[in-house]
Amino acid sequence: MAHIELRNVSKSYGGAMALRDLTLDIADGQFFVLLGETGAGKTTTLRLVAGLDKPDTGQIFIDGQDVTQWGAAARDVALVLQQYSLYPRYTVRQNLEFPLRSPIRPMSATDIADRIAKVSKTLRIEHLLDRKTDRLSGGEMQRVSIGRAIVRTPKVFLMDEPLSALDAKLREALRAELKGLQITLGETFLFVTHDQVEAMSMGDRIGVLNKGRLAQVGTPFEIYNNPCNTFVARAVGSPAINLMPGRMQSGQAVMGEGMAMAHPGGAGADGRDLIFGVRPEDLQIAPGAPVAVRVTDVENHGVEQIITLQAATHRLRATVPVTQKLALNETVQIGWAPDRVALFDAGTGQSLRHGG
Amino acid sequence: MTQIELRNINKNFGAFQVIKDVSLTVEETEFVVFLGQSGCGKTTTLRAIAGLETIDSGEILIAGKPVHMTKPEARDVAFVFQSFALYPHLTVYENMAFPLRAVRMPKAQVDDTVRRVAGVLKIGGLLSRRPSALSGGDLQRVAIGRALVRNPKAMLMDEPIGSLDAKLRDEMRVELKRLHVEQRSTTIYVTHDQIEAMALADRIVVMHAGVLQQVGTPAEVYANPVNLFVAQFVGSPVMNVAPVTLLDMPSGAQAVLAGVVAGFAVPRAVLAQVSKSGAKNITLGVRPEAIDLSTTPRDGYLPATVHIVEPLGSHDIVDVQLGDHTLRVRTRSGVVAAIGGPVWLHLDAARVHLFDTDTGKTLGITL
Repeated sequence: MAHIELRNVSKSYGGAMALRDLTLDIADGQFFVLLGETGAGKTTTLRLVAGLDKPDTGQIFIDGQDVTQWGAAARDVALVLQQYSLYPRYTVRQNLEFPLRSPIRPMSATDIADRIAKVSKTLRIEHLLDRKTDRLSGGEMQRVSIGRAIVRTPKVFLMDEPLSALDAKLREALRAELKGLQITLGETFLFVTHDQVEAMSMGDRIGVLNKGRLAQVGTPFEIYNNPCNTFVARAVGSPAINLMPGRMQSGQAVMGEGMAMAHPGGAGADGRDLIFGVRPEDLQIAPGAPVAVRVTDVENHGVEQIITLQAATHRLRATVPVTQKLALNETVQIGWAPDRVALFDAGTGQSLRHGG
Repeated sequence: MTQIELRNINKNFGAFQVIKDVSLTVEETEFVVFLGQSGCGKTTTLRAIAGLETIDSGEILIAGKPVHMTKPEARDVAFVFQSFALYPHLTVYENMAFPLRAVRMPKAQVDDTVRRVAGVLKIGGLLSRRPSALSGGDLQRVAIGRALVRNPKAMLMDEPIGSLDAKLRDEMRVELKRLHVEQRSTTIYVTHDQIEAMALADRIVVMHAGVLQQVGTPAEVYANPVNLFVAQFVGSPVMNVAPVTLLDMPSGAQAVLAGVVAGFAVPRAVLAQVSKSGAKNITLGVRPEAIDLSTTPRDGYLPATVHIVEPLGSHDIVDVQLGDHTLRVRTRSGVVAAIGGPVWLHLDAARVHLFDTDTGKTLGITL
């Protein structure tokens, strides 16, 4: 159990700023996900919390204690990496025992056996205990890696894209397992990923990193429905949110030739260049809707269809039920629910709801 | 414009048979996707068509002609790999012109072709750059461009966008489809990603352990999977499956999942159909969107407990515990708020699948 706090942390490697003035508060027992692209600073953050690197400036606290200058071993954190680092010629049991046989924290043989029994039950790897790790599948190996991290009952679990090397099916299964595990353990998890589905589905809260800066922190619901800028809006959701430059004109959002939809506007919306953001599921294709567009692609995903639409100046994506019949090159009418539309300042990208 | 036909193809690597009696006709202008896990034989089949791999028995016909004696370069098919394989010291223009210069095409014609294809791929502005100055998506566009300039009879693509990040993959998928719609070249595309397969294919070929499992349009494969493998390979989250017993109760027929006290109502006609099928053990399959979840008790709904909620923004995936089973249910966003709370479930009988547990095959019963 631990409360993690980063205060004004900056870190550079060589001349490159990896993290800029990061302040983050992760509550005890929270599943916190850092979401960002390659080079956004998420792994750097993890390494700083783990004690593998020291920040240039700023402080790191675990449970209120300033650990900035502490080494990795003293911090009592467990790190799970994308590449599982198991001892190949050892059995699963030996791999799990290894962290418990540390000379710093001696344990009795019965305690070790108890601990391994418990962990292997939680992760459903009991039947694998006597197998050599080079005889395991990818998903089994990753479970053992996680097992090796949790067997020690550390204060904090740090996970660096632990699922990204697995295939899609396994990732989907382990996602739910990992979240279930965190709920069962009630421990603090700091999980970094570039995969928005992982972030949305697992995180109690998500921190979105953009080039070393924290763009927004919030629940998955807040990040998805109330992004503070266009970067965050694009960081979650698949297909990506539709972003259309335009202006408010007499009670309508006008986004170029033939592209006007009703919108109440709101404080500060009039007379400035805006970007209107609407998610694919919030575009409706219906006769009588205000804007005519051409269907340029229909992807039937079984559960829903993803439609690509060409307007005069924009290409849009919409998700619609499979029951809706649409033909390629057909002209259809689209509209939106005004309360589902986000307004951003065209210059700064900042959401008007967030003071942009 | 070319038809590609495979007749009873077999291939062994040592004692291991990678392709088992595969027969398939890919029609002219068709976009066919081979879908399967790594090691299922899909890439080997593709390489055999290209002539990069020999086969042990069977016949491959391109445009009606057997090609087993034809060298890869004479088969006139273009191959696009996952790794881009561009010459790093040549510009985009030179990379694309390379295959044309190799066949001594006149200079003016090379120039025309490269610029036309670059236009189609929207890389006209990048022609003087070197590969090292390009993003992943542009690199793959160039690699595809280099395949297209030769105006091949067919395009063979091996996970061409597998190494790109999610957003870019999403965009490139749409581009590949647009390109195919414009060029109409017969295309065989290999992937392990069911989303790509569903999005791109005219027909999907699901492969497993060297054997064709099912060939059909995305809608067919999704709605009517022929066996448990296909059922669980296509669709995300995975189709829920559980052993089931069908009971004739005074109140009507019920499908009772193993270890669960109550059953889901199903039409009584199912009972006769199931007993006629002769299957001893039955597995029920139902996709996450075919389960209706209610937060209040309702008639004909079974009580269950919420285990995990995965919010995805546009919708939620809720894992519920029903007896010993965890079922994944797709709901609107925010329907289920509390973990551990009670919910009530109902199956859409029209979208329930029944499989013979022992063979894995569908019973072909539509409820």
